[in-house]
Amino acid sequence: MASVTFERANDTSRRRGQPRQATAKRLSRPPRPGVVDLAVVLFGLGLGASVALALTAETAAGMKAPGGVAMFIGNLTGLAGTYLALVMILLVSRIPVVERTLGQDGLLAWHRRLAPWPISLIVAHAVFLTIGYAQAAHTGVMHELSTFISSFPGMAIAIAGFGILVVVAVLSIYSVRRRLRRETWWAIHLGMYLAFALAFAHEVVLGPSFVNHPLTQAVWSAAWAATAGVVLVYRFGLPIYRSLHHRLRVVELRPEGEGVTSVILEGRHLDRLPISGGQFFEWRFLKRGLWWQAHPYTVSARPRPPYLRLTVKAVGDHSAALARLEPGTRVAVEGPYGAFTAHARRHQRAALLAGGIGITAARSLLEDLPKRSQPVVVWRVASEAEAALAEEVRQLVSHLGGKLHLLAGSREEFPLEKVVGLVPDLATRDLYVSGPEGFVSGVVGLLRHSGVAEEAIHSEVYAL
Amino acid sequence: MTRLKGAFATLAAVVGFAAVLVAHTLIGSSVPASLRSAAGNRPGGSPSNSSKTPTTTVPGPAGVTGNHIVTGKVTGYGYGEVAVRLQVDNGRIVSVKVAKLLTADSYSQQIAQQVIPMLAREVMAAQSARISAISGATYTSEGYAYSVQSALDALKKG
Ligand SMILES: Cc1cc2nc3c(=O)[nH]c(=O)nc-3n(C[C@H](O)[C@H](O)[C@H](O)COP(=O)(O)OP(=O)(O)OC[C@H]3O[C@@H](n4cnc5c(N)ncnc54)[C@H](O)[C@@H]3O)c2cc1C
Repeated sequence: MASVTFERANDTSRRRGQPRQATAKRLSRPPRPGVVDLAVVLFGLGLGASVALALTAETAAGMKAPGGVAMFIGNLTGLAGTYLALVMILLVSRIPVVERTLGQDGLLAWHRRLAPWPISLIVAHAVFLTIGYAQAAHTGVMHELSTFISSFPGMAIAIAGFGILVVVAVLSIYSVRRRLRRETWWAIHLGMYLAFALAFAHEVVLGPSFVNHPLTQAVWSAAWAATAGVVLVYRFGLPIYRSLHHRLRVVELRPEGEGVTSVILEGRHLDRLPISGGQFFEWRFLKRGLWWQAHPYTVSARPRPPYLRLTVKAVGDHSAALARLEPGTRVAVEGPYGAFTAHARRHQRAALLAGGIGITAARSLLEDLPKRSQPVVVWRVASEAEAALAEEVRQLVSHLGGKLHLLAGSREEFPLEKVVGLVPDLATRDLYVSGPEGFVSGVVGLLRHSGVAEEAIHSEVYAL
Repeated sequence: MTRLKGAFATLAAVVGFAAVLVAHTLIGSSVPASLRSAAGNRPGGSPSNSSKTPTTTVPGPAGVTGNHIVTGKVTGYGYGEVAVRLQVDNGRIVSVKVAKLLTADSYSQQIAQQVIPMLAREVMAAQSARISAISGATYTSEGYAYSVQSALDALKKG
């Protein structure tokens, strides 16, 4: 098995007598910026419609009566909050065309930015409606709460859902969250799916905008059913299908440098896998202690059917455990994801700026770049010993007529200004930046500062 | 770029907002429009109401001679069904009673029982179905008013 090579297939330096592995040619489909524009418009339409829906159930007389204002606010915040929650779920539903247009990091950024809104709106919904009903019925808030649970259809489970929402919201507050293990928090926060499923019934059975309005009831139900369908298909169905279809197994572990290991997998039908250089999978190694967590790692080369490769730097539990995998271990994948691909190019020429292990994305991306891109690769790495895949990168760059600057040394020795300074004529190139968070945000900041257009900057941060 | 998208989203939000309000006035709820204006919810409801409720010019039972007891239509109002029985004596409503009340759940039953006496007083005071909805019981009020109106209509048709 030691003969698997991911070096350029037609390279003369290839050892003689070695079987040639052809590169799979099937690229991921291109991004569709139009889809994003459409999504933005749909988002606005839905938000406006949800707010208007609350108004349709309101009357001037109703507002004047006891509890009327509180009830109106409660209905409005409930509708708007639930709508935004639906949008948040769609943002992380892995719809392929959206995923490869905005990239997972972009989608997650929006998901996070939006998060406080539905949560606070839904909390307001619960508070205002309890107060409003208590005022209308001339009872206390506590009494009203027990009436809700005992008498309203769908309310007991909705309150259970609300409880889950509050728990997840509290755990997501930064000072609480950083005390939790990342995987623990992540698993708990999936409880939100349950929370919104439980809340659904009370919306359409009790919501004044829905009762007696079969049309709005149907539209709202269809929107949620479609969202659930999208999640089931793209977050569960497609990954399960792909994993079963390709049947990936570990075949070889290859040390690449200090703390860096390549994991080589063998699978079926990899020639049919649509993937671009620079994309990543969420990998799940089906082995005791590892199967329950999926971590993102970039493919460090285009697939060479029947082989696929990722290259990992040991930084914590999961990444360190990969060096100790046994051949034969089965692997499930979600993906490929990511917009850090050759599709994103706006210019003829390109520059790739990589920090440390960020070279994996640059390495596989180089395979997709055309010759005229003459890529300048600037790679900062702590030491020569950590410069994994350096030989492959060097060969690819020279094949494309580009230039490699390998900066092995400390941050003081090679500050980011120096990294960026090595790229000639910044304004006429696409700039691909990959690596740890500090490196990427620092470099992107410098590029913006030097006047590089936003459309020409493409980045992949190796942390989510 | 991003600012342009924000503008699109805002514009779309306005359009979505307006579209729902327009659709709502055009289609309305399954409770007939005549009832909604009767319940005082949407003042100046569309003129098409008059075809369904020919009594809009003289809303009450004025001019009806003799003593009559009429039962209004059983009206579904989302959380249940209600029908009223009116007693009219020489052009005046002298009593409003519940002929039928069925609710989907016990809470709606409680609400209905709380508000029906208030609604009855409103009908007596207004001498018509033109009453205002009671907060927290808009649908009950609408259903109730609709049944009152249908009883008055039946009475006038003779
Ligand atoms: C799009 C993308 C591509 C990546 N490609 C590569 C690659 O080709 N090679 C490589 O070695 N590393 C890559 N990484 C980084 C790699 O995912 C993390 O180093 C790894 O998940 C750390 O897990 P751990 O349990 O070993 O370490 P931990 O001790 O759990 O974490 C170490 C650091 O890694 C980050 N991290 C941990 N878990 C995750 C997770 N599930 N998702 C995202 N970030 C996490 C955290 O920010 C943390 O600071 C990539 C990350 C992303 C987001």
